[in-house]
Amino acid sequence: MIRSLLFLAMLGLLPGVALAQGNGEAQANTPAIVMFLVFIAATMGITWWAARRTKTTADFYTAGGGITGFQNGLAIAGDYLSAASFLGIAGMVYVSGFDGMIYAIGFLFGWPVVMFLIAERLRNLGRYNFADVTSFRLGQTRMRVLAASASLLIIALYLIAQMVGAGKLIVLLFGIKYNLAVVIVGALMIVYVAFGGMTATTWVQIIKAVLMLFGATLLAGLVLAGFNFNPDVMLAEAVKIHPTGNAIMAPGAQVSSNPLNALSLGLALAFGTAGLPHILMRFFTVANANEARKSVIYASTFIGYFYLLTFIIGFGAIAILYKHPEYFSTGANGEIDIINSLIGGTNMVAVHLSNAVGGSLLLGFLAAVTFATIVAVVAGLALAGAAAISHDLYANVFARGRATEKQQMRISRIATVSLGIIAILLGIVFENQNVAFMVGLAFAIAASSNFPVLLLSIAWRGCTTRGATIGGFIGLATATLWVVLSKTVWVDVFGFAEPITPFPNPGIISIPLAFVAIWLFSITDKSAASVNERAAFDALTVRSQTGIGATAASDH
Amino acid sequence: MGSRTDDVTARVLANPKYHQLVRKRNAISLVFFAVMLVVYAGFILTLAFVPELFARPIGAGFTTSIGVLTATLVAVSAVVMIAAYVQVSNKVFDPLIRAIVEDAT
Repeated sequence: MIRSLLFLAMLGLLPGVALAQGNGEAQANTPAIVMFLVFIAATMGITWWAARRTKTTADFYTAGGGITGFQNGLAIAGDYLSAASFLGIAGMVYVSGFDGMIYAIGFLFGWPVVMFLIAERLRNLGRYNFADVTSFRLGQTRMRVLAASASLLIIALYLIAQMVGAGKLIVLLFGIKYNLAVVIVGALMIVYVAFGGMTATTWVQIIKAVLMLFGATLLAGLVLAGFNFNPDVMLAEAVKIHPTGNAIMAPGAQVSSNPLNALSLGLALAFGTAGLPHILMRFFTVANANEARKSVIYASTFIGYFYLLTFIIGFGAIAILYKHPEYFSTGANGEIDIINSLIGGTNMVAVHLSNAVGGSLLLGFLAAVTFATIVAVVAGLALAGAAAISHDLYANVFARGRATEKQQMRISRIATVSLGIIAILLGIVFENQNVAFMVGLAFAIAASSNFPVLLLSIAWRGCTTRGATIGGFIGLATATLWVVLSKTVWVDVFGFAEPITPFPNPGIISIPLAFVAIWLFSITDKSAASVNERAAFDALTVRSQTGIGATAASDH
Repeated sequence: MGSRTDDVTARVLANPKYHQLVRKRNAISLVFFAVMLVVYAGFILTLAFVPELFARPIGAGFTTSIGVLTATLVAVSAVVMIAAYVQVSNKVFDPLIRAIVEDAT
């Protein structure tokens, strides 16, 4: 009863979208609103169906293990391709050409790391999230507290970046007020996750990933069609138009002025993926290690293909958008500065481009997909956060494994609703803050804390609880402090004159430091517990290699 | 951990096929990881320390630079490496795993 009432209340928000369109600053786009309403109606239907199948915590966190490798590959792509990576990378390529491509390649190379080092072993050892794996033979309490601390910090940073970026985009795309936009995203997320759990969240990701791949394919195809499908002709035109000319074809000043920073960023991007809690969680939705393997090949194919499209979109935008002065605010002398005067900023490159080559229908489609993307990514994050709170902190640390199934479900739903409300509040509080550093910091923490702990706990017999705990926290603290004391936060956010750290990305320091600390504090660990932990490595390896004893696909 | 699990673990540990699997898998994973590191680190180190190499066009009359082409190929190579690993896993690891599981249960 309460469930149906809440559902109706959520649906009641929707007319607010259409009604509010006149009040905003930007022009509202009717096709965008219609398509987004269709998306909401479809996903609400799925949530309704999923809610009836979500009875146990296994259903809630892993969709009962019944997702296929192909479906999971799409869902991972859906989780991974946030609006930031779609609009952000297209925007970066538009502004600085080649340098924008570096980010995409860094994000993509997270996948070979996941595949070669952890994917199958993760599936064989865990049940709901990666903390199950790190606590498999190490001290339950300390490993879960460490995993939950790092995970919740990563999720908070990601959530803020998504909510603020989302709010601003939705204001531009749909012409509604910022606070309303943030509330809609938070409310939709609560409905998907609290009622539909992993089943609904996975299907929202799958639908969104398919729409996004379709939209980007269409957009890139239309762009290339304007240049007889010859990318070189498109690039020649882009070089002619761009204020820095041929420089967009090569690494730019940002990179050459500080090569160590580029290297450091590259490390965090490649190793961060293997420590992102909401991505790792997806590996427990499939039946076995073989399906986990399939998930990675599908996910990386979709993600790689998508990034190639964003390269075309970014470079194509340089060659096309300047012909449309209506997308720019013209300067005093009537000149157009294609970089600094784009309406809505360079995150809107792909959106303007869709209007330029496909008219208002494609614009509407892309806007709706962007909105859907934001909601879907936020839902995936909230689910991982709820798992950290209810499965790690509540069930295994606070209640020490004595919590009943029913209590755990209750805590999971309460955690989801709380996370949704917190996300909305954070979105409002951080509206006018510079949040650009947050996704980078989230990757740095994932690469410097979760990844080393996860890898060494499954691959190195000598790893002990003491080593993993101390090393994990050192990685976490180093990455965070380094970023706080760097130009991106110390100068740009706090307003100090000089940064304390020499370059903004901590990876090159914090990742090796975490590995060395885990090693050092493990080999010097002579406790009785450490002897048992080393002895339990054989059982861990047998299960991780063969899958014998791994949690079965379904509890039913 | 119950004694039945310990029995199974002991039986697997006594099976030479298991040690063959672990050896092969560790070696193959490491080779793939090393190849990936060489490709990725090579790309990042080149752009960071020899950017002028990436600035050159791929040929006379082309605008496309060596950097843009390399970046595209490096992106494709990530997916190709994963596909190759899946092929090796299906052909080499899976039959061994099936045999070990049959022997143990």
